[in-house]
Amino acid sequence: MGFVVNQLGLPVYLDSTGTVLVAALAGPGAGVLAGVVSQLVRSLYEGFVWLPFGLIQVLIALMAVLAASRGGFRTLWRSAGWGIATGLVAGLLSSLISYFIFKGVTATGVTAVTTLLAGLGLSREAAVTTASVGTDLVDKLLVFLLVGAALRGLPARMMSRYPLGARATGP
Amino acid sequence: MRLHPFTPFLLVLATALLAVLLPAPLGPVALLVVVMLVAVATGAWRAAGAAILLSVPLWIFLLLLHGAMRGGEGWQAAVAQGARLTAIIAASLLAYRAFRPARFLDAAASRGWSSGSALLILATLQAAPRLRARAARILEAQRSRGLRVRGRPLGRIGALAPVALPLILQTLGEVDARAMALETRAVGGGRRTALENVRLRWPDHVLLAAAALAVVAAFCWRALW
Repeated sequence: MGFVVNQLGLPVYLDSTGTVLVAALAGPGAGVLAGVVSQLVRSLYEGFVWLPFGLIQVLIALMAVLAASRGGFRTLWRSAGWGIATGLVAGLLSSLISYFIFKGVTATGVTAVTTLLAGLGLSREAAVTTASVGTDLVDKLLVFLLVGAALRGLPARMMSRYPLGARATGP
Repeated sequence: MRLHPFTPFLLVLATALLAVLLPAPLGPVALLVVVMLVAVATGAWRAAGAAILLSVPLWIFLLLLHGAMRGGEGWQAAVAQGARLTAIIAASLLAYRAFRPARFLDAAASRGWSSGSALLILATLQAAPRLRARAARILEAQRSRGLRVRGRPLGRIGALAPVALPLILQTLGEVDARAMALETRAVGGGRRTALENVRLRWPDHVLLAAAALAVVAAFCWRALW
């Protein structure tokens, strides 16, 4: 997904798309596993320094399971609502990790926003929180919209193997 | 010297612990120098270069956010944090350079780990380049059908679905087929044995003991002084 985002020049990550998809289809165990493994594999390429953000993947997987169990992917608007809620929660946790472990400097996009806000006079705590929550809101909104569209587009034969997925989009 | 597949990753863990425990800013800077010297000594120029490239944006933002905006101790904090992050990134990339998936799988089986967990990581690693190639193919196909991937941000967000949705649906189809193939081969059907029995040898023991000793010494130093 990172390749697609780069090619389209979008200022988002969408790196939790797989986690949300697996969690919504196969439940909390598989979702958490997908999130942790994807973070581990990403760390192999980019350095294990980013491993603490695996916690965010776990949180996102649990939010996706909650959304799926309540029919959160049934319509575009429901997907958007759950995406915003997840973005808010993930952004807050992300800002804590970013502030306390990384001193506010993490990925280029979100750190550029942090630096800009700090330059405008915001305290470092406020700048990190605003930047993290802001970028995560947009990112998770797009992820949930994409996963919702994918789940609604799955053939019935395939969906029948995933009871939670059927509940996520069903009546 | 061929190390046990687990040794490089345990050394990364030791590097991360030392980066946090050693007194700043000299400790992390010295650690970074040691890691880079190891990279040079083992001929891992590419890993060292990649680590530097990955760390450049971090250094720029650290120097801006902590040094330029706070001044005084902020510069020291920026250098210490930059050295910590770069040392861990460089150690990680060195470990990845030494990573041999098949050997890692054998070592995991020798230790009695479930083949499923090791296979999960290896399958993900092998899937990454394949998915990237598939994404490129889908993007080209959609562009040939008139999809615009440049221009206004809203237009580019609109282009996301025609590229990402086929990618997700094709990948799910592949996962379905692979799951069936693994089931027919009785994966998860009991304990397996390794083809090659990979053991920890003396260089692994020496390196791991030295790393553990350094971490304990750094911890005692910080606790006592």
